[in-house]
Amino acid sequence: MTLPQTLLKLEQASRRRAGRPAVQGLSLVLERGQVLGLLGVNGAGKSTTLSMIAGALAPDGGHILLDGVDLAEHPALVRRLVGWLPERAPLWQELTVGEHLDAHGRLRGLNGAALKQARTRMVERLELGPLERRLAGVLSQGQRQRLGLACALLHQPALLVLDEPGNALDPVQVAALRGLIREQAAAGTAVILSTHVLAEVTAVCDRVAILHDGTLRYEGTLAGDDHAALERQFFAIATARAAA
Amino acid sequence: MSVLAVTRLELRRLFVRPLAWVLGASTLAWLAWNFTLMLGSFLAAQIRLAALPDGPGYTDLVAVPLLAKLAELAFLVVPLLSMSALAGERREGRLALLLGMGLKPSHIVLGKYAALLVWLLAWLALVLAMPLALAHATAIDWGKLAAAALGMALLLASLAALGLACSAVASHPAIAAAVALVLTLALMWLNLGAQMAGVDDGAINWLAMSSHLQPLLRGLVASPDVVWFVLLATVCLALAIRRVAAERERG
Repeated sequence: MTLPQTLLKLEQASRRRAGRPAVQGLSLVLERGQVLGLLGVNGAGKSTTLSMIAGALAPDGGHILLDGVDLAEHPALVRRLVGWLPERAPLWQELTVGEHLDAHGRLRGLNGAALKQARTRMVERLELGPLERRLAGVLSQGQRQRLGLACALLHQPALLVLDEPGNALDPVQVAALRGLIREQAAAGTAVILSTHVLAEVTAVCDRVAILHDGTLRYEGTLAGDDHAALERQFFAIATARAAA
Repeated sequence: MSVLAVTRLELRRLFVRPLAWVLGASTLAWLAWNFTLMLGSFLAAQIRLAALPDGPGYTDLVAVPLLAKLAELAFLVVPLLSMSALAGERREGRLALLLGMGLKPSHIVLGKYAALLVWLLAWLALVLAMPLALAHATAIDWGKLAAAALGMALLLASLAALGLACSAVASHPAIAAAVALVLTLALMWLNLGAQMAGVDDGAINWLAMSSHLQPLLRGLVASPDVVWFVLLATVCLALAIRRVAAERERG
């Protein structure tokens, strides 16, 4: 049996926050194995969009379909299908790295041998071995991001949602993150990542969507060598607001 | 299953944070000191009490008063323990993360409630162990002690639910603790004015926690008293679940 190619579909998704529209009429489609870069200036609506996709925030208009099923009707679907790394990798400071992985696994429904296997896989893949017994509260920003990523990937989600994952990472860590994203996409995981950094998008994404004032202003595929074109496009949209 | 996962996580957090240990150790030390004092007074008055036909015994003078002291401490301890259960999670962005794992709001709240209950019941068991340690050497009124222990368990369960509800509503853990403390004290002594005015069976008396706790501490188990505590806990948990569910809607 082959899985349907389309994994995520946003149909006119909207959401108000603090009394103003944060996202308006957003429609997007993401297929398995695709990497979509969500670009936008601060306050463009990227984090709100990702929170809605991750199931942490309900849209107040439109629909979000995950694997063909409306998230509003089946919010528990995200438990199995989505792995989410929010912007600041929220961790429990008093728990160790190993305890985080166990807790996230159990919360995602993993137990016994499956949990142990998943934990070992993530510890090896994200090189968390030396940190396993360290408290999350004393980790560096890069280490926190790695732990957050490991927690998001633990249950092998079909959709990986990353909110500015490259923040505060050094160049070596950024390269490792890009490698991980490409590896996940090659394995069939759909990835959606929000960022301010254009280079990050051109380096790992197949497609790009530019959000501005909560609306989708541009969507297109990336050929790999059109960084300059994307930069022009992005600045045209971003400075249009400044001019307005 | 996810309730159990939340409970395990919350219990782990409770047992590695210094606050729970400091609260547990200091209150147990204070109660142990009180137990020693009450035991000394009981021993000093034992001969005089033995001469009375229906005189108070070890249970009335040591075990139950010790539980009453635990109730007084619980008014402060429970709000402090429960304050960050939801308010702290929200502030650090972890409540959104839990919701983003597809957990039902009821599972999040009930899981955290169960963890609080485990801690509080362990605390109650340790306090009960003090008078029970002398069970072989004295006559314990088991029925009265069981009723008082049930009363304490119900009190702790309802205070934990109230603390969670305050933590669900408040934006900051300290505000949650302050609101829970004020509400607890208000609920406890709601009928003080009515009592001073000589009213003993009005609606305000029924609303007061003390009206339902005192009979249990005296050894009288009546279903309306048990139902009162269960109702309070249920209403508070329902409120907390509603508030966490609204998190998805409100953001």
